[in-house]
Amino acid sequence: MKDFFRQNGLLLLLIAVLLSILLAVVGTFLGGSADPLSDFFSILTTPVRTAASAVAHWGEGVYNYVVNYDDLYQELDDLHTQVAEMEEQVRQAQDALRENEELRELLNLQEKRRDFTFASARVTAPETSNWHSTLTISKGSSSGVEAGDCVINARGELVGVVSTVGTNSAEVATLIDLDTDIGGMVARTYSAGVLEGDFALMEQGKLRLNYLPDGAQLIAGDEVLTSGRGGVYPSGLVVGQVEGVFDDPSGATRYAVVNPAADLDSLFQVFVILDFDIVE
Amino acid sequence: MTRRNQVFKWLVYTLGLLLVWVLDVHILGRLPVLSTVPVLLPVAAATVAVLEGGAAGAGFGLGTGLLWEISALDSGGWAVIFLAVCGLLCGSAAQFALTQGFIGCMICSAAVMAALECIHLLVGLFTQLAPPALLVEVAVKELVWSLVWAPAVYLIFRAIFRRVGRDRLAN
Repeated sequence: MKDFFRQNGLLLLLIAVLLSILLAVVGTFLGGSADPLSDFFSILTTPVRTAASAVAHWGEGVYNYVVNYDDLYQELDDLHTQVAEMEEQVRQAQDALRENEELRELLNLQEKRRDFTFASARVTAPETSNWHSTLTISKGSSSGVEAGDCVINARGELVGVVSTVGTNSAEVATLIDLDTDIGGMVARTYSAGVLEGDFALMEQGKLRLNYLPDGAQLIAGDEVLTSGRGGVYPSGLVVGQVEGVFDDPSGATRYAVVNPAADLDSLFQVFVILDFDIVE
Repeated sequence: MTRRNQVFKWLVYTLGLLLVWVLDVHILGRLPVLSTVPVLLPVAAATVAVLEGGAAGAGFGLGTGLLWEISALDSGGWAVIFLAVCGLLCGSAAQFALTQGFIGCMICSAAVMAALECIHLLVGLFTQLAPPALLVEVAVKELVWSLVWAPAVYLIFRAIFRRVGRDRLAN
């Protein structure tokens, strides 16, 4: 055996070089789409990833039940209180909605409607790199998923954007990943900026809202939404809350550190926005 | 050793590699410590190279690199040649300069991880990913946390090596 490899060591290295070049070239030219080999591997390992994900999810549930029983009991009490408060808020919101509709009629504004088309998916593999923040989900091109589609959780909070698509799986760059580049807006002040990932903040699970206007008066806790500028991503998706506002090292612009609303570490079910209407 | 024995031997090593991959991606990948997850495939390539020698190490490194690349949807291809070269160098170093045991495995694993982190650092510096101090911090944490798991990887492949390693199946 050793003789075989000794005699063929150079041949193996040559094969390795050719494979590297092939994968690099295919990866470059496919841009956004998985190369056939990776796609095939992904299809092949789907049962393993799905099973591992289900077992891990079950394990987390058991662990939380056993270890955090008192906390869960307390949390249940808190949730009862929150539900009562939210029911009151819903009643108020319904009043506000009626009032809003009346105002729209008064101002003769054309009502625009936004229709999302969803594909639900499960998170089958977490991020496995310390240099990027990605997730693998269980839906791919066979379900209509395309690179650039937004991914949200059940509460409508932005999780990330699909970066690479396979036949039955896709890789999602979470919103704290370095590749993130989405138009953002502060809901209270309508201050627009660009949501971007930052390597230092990625480790803390946060991102930046860059290029804020000079006069923007932001405060901690302000809600940040997607602005929808350019029509690439839907508007109005909840991104997170402003944690603080800082001057850029250059001194030319200011940026806000944003804490994502979605809990990226414990995602299980997500929704891919396949189609949406642009709100003008 | 017959061709059938060779196929059986490397099939068992492949199963060991898949076990390490599952451990790496699906178990430890979900449990980051200090926001860091280990990277075990390079450690696996170094370990088998030390146990089996340079040329076999190059072949196993090639296979490990291929697994690493195709398990990510957006592959860049560089890991195949990187781990093949690492396997060849680690195996040769273990054969002629180090011991083909635990110490050799740890030294070679550290060397491979250090080389990998150097690549990450160079890419990070070149693309101005973050301040150098921060890049170094992430690289060091990744290296250390991966080496913490290197003995576990060694135990897996040593168990395989004791049963089917080198020419044992020929006896």
